[in-house]
Amino acid sequence: MLNKLALSGIKHRIRDYSVLFSGLMIASAIFYMFMSLATNKSFLNSNSPASATSFIFGFGIVLLAIITIVYINYANTFLLSMRQKEYGMFMMLGAKSSKISRMIFIETFAIGAISTLIGTALGILATGFVSKWIISALDMQVKHFNSFYLPALLSTFVFFVVIFMFSAIKNSMSLRRSKVLTLLNRDSQPVKIKRNGVLKAVQAVLGLVLLALGYLSMWYIGQNPGFIMIGIPIALVTIVGGTYFTINSFVTAFIVMLKHNTKYSQKGLNNFTLSQLSFRINDYTKILSMVSIMFALALGAITVGLGFNNQIDNVVNGQNYYDVQLTNPDAAQQKRLKGLNIEKKNIYNFKVDKTNVYYKTSEFKKQPLGYAQIDTKTMISKQQITADPSKNDNAKFELMNTRMPDQRGKVVKFVNTQEFNAINAPTTTTVLVKTNSFKNNLAEIKSISKAEVKRYPVLKNAGADKYSAYTMINGFFSGLEFMGFFLGIAFLAMLASCLMFKILSGANGDVKRYNMLYKIGTQQKVLRATINKEIGVLFSVPAILGIVHVLLGLQMFNKILYKPYANIEIPFAIFIVLYLGYYFVTRYLYKKIVLK
Amino acid sequence: MQKIVDVQNIEKIYGKAGEKQFKALSDVNFEVKPGEFVGIMGASGSGKTTLLNILSTLDTPTSGRVEIAGQDITKLKNNEMADFRSNKIGFIFQDFNLLENLTAYENIALPLALQNKPAKAIKPAVMNISEKLGLTEILNHYPTELSGGQKQRVAAARALVHEPSIVFGDEPTGALDSKSARALMDTLTKINREDNVSILLVTHDPFSASFCDRILFIKDGEIGQELKKEDHSRAEYYQEILDSLGTFAE
Ligand SMILES: Nc1ncnc2c1ncn2[C@@H]1O[C@H](COP(=O)(O)OP(=O)(O)OP(=O)(O)O)[C@@H](O)[C@H]1O
Ligand SMILES: [Mg+2]
Repeated sequence: MLNKLALSGIKHRIRDYSVLFSGLMIASAIFYMFMSLATNKSFLNSNSPASATSFIFGFGIVLLAIITIVYINYANTFLLSMRQKEYGMFMMLGAKSSKISRMIFIETFAIGAISTLIGTALGILATGFVSKWIISALDMQVKHFNSFYLPALLSTFVFFVVIFMFSAIKNSMSLRRSKVLTLLNRDSQPVKIKRNGVLKAVQAVLGLVLLALGYLSMWYIGQNPGFIMIGIPIALVTIVGGTYFTINSFVTAFIVMLKHNTKYSQKGLNNFTLSQLSFRINDYTKILSMVSIMFALALGAITVGLGFNNQIDNVVNGQNYYDVQLTNPDAAQQKRLKGLNIEKKNIYNFKVDKTNVYYKTSEFKKQPLGYAQIDTKTMISKQQITADPSKNDNAKFELMNTRMPDQRGKVVKFVNTQEFNAINAPTTTTVLVKTNSFKNNLAEIKSISKAEVKRYPVLKNAGADKYSAYTMINGFFSGLEFMGFFLGIAFLAMLASCLMFKILSGANGDVKRYNMLYKIGTQQKVLRATINKEIGVLFSVPAILGIVHVLLGLQMFNKILYKPYANIEIPFAIFIVLYLGYYFVTRYLYKKIVLK
Repeated sequence: MQKIVDVQNIEKIYGKAGEKQFKALSDVNFEVKPGEFVGIMGASGSGKTTLLNILSTLDTPTSGRVEIAGQDITKLKNNEMADFRSNKIGFIFQDFNLLENLTAYENIALPLALQNKPAKAIKPAVMNISEKLGLTEILNHYPTELSGGQKQRVAAARALVHEPSIVFGDEPTGALDSKSARALMDTLTKINREDNVSILLVTHDPFSASFCDRILFIKDGEIGQELKKEDHSRAEYYQEILDSLGTFAE
């Protein structure tokens, strides 16, 4: 009988339960996604040149585990607060508390088990989908990666089963110990704002000091990569603490300040919004700090991932000046060239005898030869041109690589036209093309390079054109880039669902407030605007702090990455678009719950 | 004399055509004059809340005409209804309906802020009404720190602060003990006399009803009887109400 009642209770709160289930499923899906990378040793070893990768991933597991525990604990509180009134009522009507505590134990554990099962299945699908997308979007080569990975699956199960076991025990104990009356009345007691000026001031100072320490240690890691093992834990602890105190003190102070400005606060629903926020911020400080840290990690991971991508460009451009090189092109190849966006096209003729290769000096006078260079210390590439390659080793090296493998070892001679004509050997023509951008013409360049290999099979393992360099370097950096993107997206999904979950779970309490505002004559439009503003602030506080964390945190990569801040707008844009998506979904769902 | 409320032939049917329908109000007619204090009484389920919701533009009648302060409210669009409520109507609810994250002062100021009154004009208006209702000491408290009676007086102040044409109350004393109920009714009567504010209350409680000038009895969605106070004392009127309730209930 009681069981039946409890089940019917679930039916009535189907919306709350679906929020709860989807939240938990997302958590286990993301956990699996992460584990599928982190526990896959052969993937890590074959795709990363750095020995630090294993360490970073180990650290990532710890971090994600902590976040997941916090998250599930929070979801569990949500469950308990949802059910305690009903269970309280059963107890008032005479149900034994041992029976009730057994029921909540079973309910908690069943919810956990079901959502973990579905969640990991979703995780396998999502892993496959995300990895395919990243690989194709970024033209990567990733080895030893599989979306279904048994050790990851097992560790996800074990982890979640243990957490839910604890949650279930906690819930049943808490119900057994509570008095019936507190269970019945618990949520009618709103939290009061604690206005302790001195404490807030201390927190503000402490927050800033901690943040400064964290940023400093990241900068120091950038200068001395060896510091990483101590530096990262220090940065993590100080930044987490700093973020918490900063949000708790500054944001509250800012709201109080706005409230005191009666011109602003006594206008329309501003005061209502501010009060909603100041109550929320107190309650939200923990989750907002967590989200801003996650935001930073996710954004940082994608930024660094893309940083490796920039590296590819830079290194490739340091290998070859010309994007395409052809030997005696036939009509088909000439036709393919038309598909390129050509900036410069040089044509050189040469003749070969047993020991030497002969070029015409005049051809270089007319069309100076470009050559590329890379400084292996600074990782900065340079491109230059010369009209007289005979005295320039870099230019000679570049020219050498435009010939067939068997002619690269010969001595190069630059001769005048008469001497050239006098040599009794067939003329070979080399066509060198530089496009407006290697990246933008990549597809065409690839097909030309492939066709060239078909015409000259010797090039298969000895290709010296830019495309061959690109494939090699791309393969090297792709693994790193893939990890960055994968981590970034996993963290983003985790953080945004945390925030969304938290905001939505407060929506039920707001129904009455908004209904009252409507009754005393607030236009729907104004109510909507208020909701947008409120959720907007809750989303932007962690975003702003997160962006600051990333901008300063990138100092860590000063020595590892070439220009860590280059093209930074790209990851930021990707990130902000995804994050905005979550904002719009949250605000839509929230309005659906609150406004009728 | 102009009427504040003029209700003509209203009818309310719940449920869409084709579904199960229920007639909650049928052919209701009455009026409220400026400065009148009118009560509405009736058994549970007789249609009191339905009537009040229609008068306050929260719901629309199936047919009929309602004019408030000279305006036909059944013709208003959604936004106009909201504006109308915020300008012309004051509300007191049974369960207070204060926003618990705003202080008493902020709760009272809300209707004025909604009308975008300048901050300078808001303060004197809030102080003025708070003084009349004896709330000046507790303006900085949050609703959770107030007693039920205090909460309801804050709600009354909020209903009155923007000087509405009429104040509606749906069992405003319903959640109060008899002493607080009496204090609230005394205050409302005072405001009604001194400031000439029209008030329309729904109540179950004969004692609260005895403060009214006139009482409309509603039964099964129809107004059945009207009882005027005229120059009876409140005690006499109270007895009369009890008598009518007895006969009316049969
Ligand atoms: N939204 C609705 N849909 C269908 N029927 C309704 C709806 N609201 C009220 N009713 C019905 O209309 C009738 C009048 O309801 P109303 O709430 O006006 O009664 P009331 O006089 O305020 O009662 P009480 O004194 O108990 O508050 C009742 O029979 C009720 O069941
Ligand atoms: Mg009612």
